[in-house]
Amino acid sequence: MRNDLCPITLIGGYLGAGKTTLINRMLADPELPQDTAVLVNDFGDINIDESLIRSQSQDGTVLGLSNGCICCSISDDLSKALDQLAKLPISQVILETSGVAEPARVWQHCHYPGFRPKASVVLVDAGHTALRLRDKYVGSLVKAQLDQAHLLVLSKTDVHPDFRLDRLQPMIESNDPNLLATIFGWQQPTAPERSIESRASFGAHTWHQTQTVPLATLQNFLHSLNDRVHRVKGWVATDRGLHQVSGVGSTFALDAITDLPKPPALGLVFIYCSDVDSQDGGLAPDQITMTLSP
Amino acid sequence: MLTLFQARSVITMNPSMPRASAVLVRDGMIVEVGEPENMTPWMQDEAVVVDDQFAQSIICPGFIDPHLHPSMAAVLLPMEFITAMRWKLPWGEIEPVINPEAFDRRLAKLHEAKPAAEPLFVWGYHQLWHGPMNKARIQGICEDRPTVVWHRSFHELYMTDAAMSMAGIDPAQIKPGMQIDIENGHFFEVGLGFAINRLNPWILAPEQYAAGLQRLKQVVHHGGHTSIGDLATGLFNFDAEAQALAEQLEGDDVPFRTRLVVHGTRLTQGGRKPEEGPDMAAALLSRNSHRLTFGRHIKLFSDGAFFSQLAQLQEPGYIDGHHGEWLAAPEELERHIRAYWQAGYQIHVHVTGDLGLELTLDILQKMQDEKPRFNHGFTFEHFGFSTPEQIRRIKALGAQVSANVYYLHELSDSYAKAGIGFERASQMARLGSCVAAGINTTIHSDFTMAPAEPLNSMWVAVNRQNHVGDVMAAEEKLTQQQALEAITINAAHTIGLADITGSIRAGKRADFTVLAQDPLTCDPMTLKDIDIEATVFEGQVFPIA
Repeated sequence: MRNDLCPITLIGGYLGAGKTTLINRMLADPELPQDTAVLVNDFGDINIDESLIRSQSQDGTVLGLSNGCICCSISDDLSKALDQLAKLPISQVILETSGVAEPARVWQHCHYPGFRPKASVVLVDAGHTALRLRDKYVGSLVKAQLDQAHLLVLSKTDVHPDFRLDRLQPMIESNDPNLLATIFGWQQPTAPERSIESRASFGAHTWHQTQTVPLATLQNFLHSLNDRVHRVKGWVATDRGLHQVSGVGSTFALDAITDLPKPPALGLVFIYCSDVDSQDGGLAPDQITMTLSP
Repeated sequence: MLTLFQARSVITMNPSMPRASAVLVRDGMIVEVGEPENMTPWMQDEAVVVDDQFAQSIICPGFIDPHLHPSMAAVLLPMEFITAMRWKLPWGEIEPVINPEAFDRRLAKLHEAKPAAEPLFVWGYHQLWHGPMNKARIQGICEDRPTVVWHRSFHELYMTDAAMSMAGIDPAQIKPGMQIDIENGHFFEVGLGFAINRLNPWILAPEQYAAGLQRLKQVVHHGGHTSIGDLATGLFNFDAEAQALAEQLEGDDVPFRTRLVVHGTRLTQGGRKPEEGPDMAAALLSRNSHRLTFGRHIKLFSDGAFFSQLAQLQEPGYIDGHHGEWLAAPEELERHIRAYWQAGYQIHVHVTGDLGLELTLDILQKMQDEKPRFNHGFTFEHFGFSTPEQIRRIKALGAQVSANVYYLHELSDSYAKAGIGFERASQMARLGSCVAAGINTTIHSDFTMAPAEPLNSMWVAVNRQNHVGDVMAAEEKLTQQQALEAITINAAHTIGLADITGSIRAGKRADFTVLAQDPLTCDPMTLKDIDIEATVFEGQVFPIA
């Protein structure tokens, strides 16, 4: 009976703790099971435009959420998103909570028809957590986030080598092998390129299209992207009609689309790797705009 | 052509001439207020119609509710009300229903009055008055009619078997542990979302929504308003709402104007940066019509819902130790505020608890340090809990207050007993201190959170009497003069309309609310029962039957 229900893994933690980075890494990771749905908190600092990343293609389904109270909006985004997902052939959901959510409250919400909560993963920012725990506005919230986690994942230990975990008295429960698989190799020493000590991190950039682009210009632009751009997705109106763009690494697909139920938001989302030398992954937003919006 | 409105007394809200006996109007604009014998220079060469239908009445500036939600109201108003508090609605006064038996009797009446098979939506149930609710109780009365009983707080509802099958809810889908108690037909929290997503074809159907806005139009008129503020345009869906508002709340038969204040975080949702918000909001100005206008205003949110005890409180917090909620991380709120502050906007922030207020004051202080602004109109909306020290900060930072004073009436007794204790509960809506400090102070209904009746809000602010009859913090009472200012000129300042309305003086639009009794000299306990005879919007009379 229990296994009929689609499991939801919560990714929690305060603003800036690394939730979006973790989710971007997951999206860029070939190990992400094809039928994983990802619900991102749209209110986050880096928005991944839901309509741009969502696609019927090979990889995960991403939907955006925002904060709010049901009495103020008649419906809430989470139940709407789960109702949408229930119609799709998915095997699991990764849910990014809002930075101000208490995991236990969201956990309750995951007891939704067709779904069940599986685990609360909370990201702990090695640099700011101790201070935030004493903050008059968010201290009790950050403490609740830590208390309510099944698995605490440390982030930003590379920039804060002096951080001492025992100060936080965390409760780490990482015995569930499925759970670890879900979180990929974040804490596995055999996967150094994905470890949290790695100096690389991921960012996202959204380009909003305002005018039609010649198809050839779009193709040339996509060919010109360097290898730090891990993913590019979206819809672009060209002189040859609407095209869906889906690129992974150095390959990309460009498909003419005619039968969408409603017009998509036009533009491209780039997920790129940034490092010390190149903060924006070699992707200058102005450059994109200049190339594609002559 | 000139029209001379005569009255028993005209209350102008212009401190230089507080009273008069007539108002002279041309093309919807006041050309002179005062005594008719002084107006002859205007009338020498122009035809004058003397309108003496209000000769025995009191003419006030048109009332203004600076914060309500037409879209929420459009959803609620087509429903039937069974409520513990009185609601005066244009199609009938809803008498208070304060025990379970009376609830069942009224439900039975509604059931009998409705054609068979039509669904019945009831709003206003509250366990404190109406006893435990469940599916069997409703079905005992409404039998196989699809019936939905909505909690007063909006956060939960009960559905009959017939309603579930109408909405396509299969009880077998519902497992234990979900926020749905299927045995009792009870849906709450995200379970409520599940129910609403399936009830939407009935509650958000376009014709239903349009009918709801028509009812809102009546409610606003009957409350005596000539201006309102929609303080979160884009709550559900910006384009659908904007279009429906344009269709229903614009036109010669609409006796009021609406200041639209866009929901800031919804505006930039979906990949836009907060810093793009000011330009996006400015682009909305091109949509303005005569009655529906955006201004350089933006709505943002700090802490959680007051009715759900999710306001963020300073120590000692809630008695049971629970914490409120932030609607956005403090850093995110600050980033949004900074974007609009730098761009010169008037910012309205939803604050309910004293910790939410403290945070927002800290951010405002930071903004003043970064870029000092005068006359910025930063407004604290709702203003549930506050401290006397915060009143000084509000004044020092040049901000203003728009309070839902009705909290005090409906919730101060229960929050004193189960919530935060008597001291702080009695001092909700600390309005006397605001006025004494010289802060521009207005009051609102947040309709549908409170009745859209400015005279009722005024009654609460003046008497500070809660629903069990206790006077809470008499020191914070407003005088009748101060409370009338709150619902007229002060409200106009808050939503950026003071140059055209909010008082009666030469040059302003002829917006009046006509009363049978004088709200400044009547027994203050009778304020909420004063008859509103008509409103005048830009010179045109709209009688109230």
